[in-house]
Amino acid sequence: MVIAIGFEGSANKLGIGIIKDGEVLANVRKTYITPPGEGFLPKETAEHHRSKILDLLKEALSVAKISPDVIDVVCYTKGPGMAPPLLTVAIVARTIAQIWNKPILGVNHCIGHIEMGRFITKAQNPTVLYVSGGNTQVIAYSMKRYRIFGETIDIAVGNCLDRFARIIKLSNDPSPGYNIEQMAKKGEKFLKLPYTVKGMDVSFSGILSFIEKEANPAKFKKNIKKTIDEKDKLTDADLCFSLQETLFAMLVETTERAMAHCGSEEVLIVGGVGCNERLQEMMRIMCEERGGKLFATDERFCIDNGLMIAHAGAEMFKSGTRMSWNDATVTQRYRTDEVLVTWRDD
Amino acid sequence: MTGGPYQVSIRIPFPTEREAEIAYDVLRVDAEPKRSFITKQLSREGNILQADFTGELAKNVRVGLTSFFQSLMLCCETIKEFGPPSEKYDHY
Repeated sequence: MVIAIGFEGSANKLGIGIIKDGEVLANVRKTYITPPGEGFLPKETAEHHRSKILDLLKEALSVAKISPDVIDVVCYTKGPGMAPPLLTVAIVARTIAQIWNKPILGVNHCIGHIEMGRFITKAQNPTVLYVSGGNTQVIAYSMKRYRIFGETIDIAVGNCLDRFARIIKLSNDPSPGYNIEQMAKKGEKFLKLPYTVKGMDVSFSGILSFIEKEANPAKFKKNIKKTIDEKDKLTDADLCFSLQETLFAMLVETTERAMAHCGSEEVLIVGGVGCNERLQEMMRIMCEERGGKLFATDERFCIDNGLMIAHAGAEMFKSGTRMSWNDATVTQRYRTDEVLVTWRDD
Repeated sequence: MTGGPYQVSIRIPFPTEREAEIAYDVLRVDAEPKRSFITKQLSREGNILQADFTGELAKNVRVGLTSFFQSLMLCCETIKEFGPPSEKYDHY
């Protein structure tokens, strides 16, 4: 039996989770929310995590109703992510490992998402679409590695959505993506946007520049040749709708290609954007047409959380992975396929 | 000590030797960021943690010191809230 505690803080969410052999004991989270029109910056995010982490740790222990003695391993996010918040969380994880005299294990954030998704949905060997504010990857497992089939060549899909939310001054509470999703439901007109699938890879930055001009024409006055008829004018809701449809269609296309290539029948969506119900719906239609099955989770497990780090760490620990103290560092870049998957035998 | 004209040394006494050891172990593993333009050297003697900083520019040394203190304070705060620490650490 392994009881693991996981610390996550690679971006603006700070999470701590405790897991005991597949039983969730605690999964607490605090999100750093910035005012509308502003994104989160590394320094301020680290400051937020520093001010909240010790209270959150107490909360996690009291929710789990366990004493620290019974914990077997302390897990934390090693990367990828923003360095200052990663470091903040790693320092607390290291200190607590020393205080409690427990081994420490650094976990790849992407692997955390994948393993959490597999654990919650019980998907066996899915093609994984990992979509969040910092990452966009289509992943399939083969020979002890999670291999990246396709990914974004510039910004992540969540970053594209977040930045568009900033342009139209949507609230960041509870998350910009959620507010775009709600607004898109009111959209009626579809604006044709660039569709940028490049082989197995996708690109989002051009789409963002394009739609920015539509949302904020005054800023780009020089380029506008004619005044638009009032009834042809697109509302923010129309733009949210068009943006979502275009981005998600690109993701579904690349995922379908990966599925066809691997002969896979299952798709698992993980990452913060994965709780978008429109994305799930589009993916489900594609899966059903192919006779496949979609697996997705809700915001508790999709959005960054400590539990996924605890779970992935526990799997690694059980399969014999250990980390020396000097390797308990953080790294901004840490690719999914760098991790040797010791805990899967297929 | 090499690395530049600006040098700062700090000596931080801890209540016990073990606590100094924890702070030393927790803080020593991170390499200074590539573009910090300073060198940082940590050492421990009994219950004293010593940190030496050198750099070409005073502002770089100042930034390095600030981030060191932020990490140190977080570590001390954690020990205060969740201590007292176990006598030894036997996982490496």
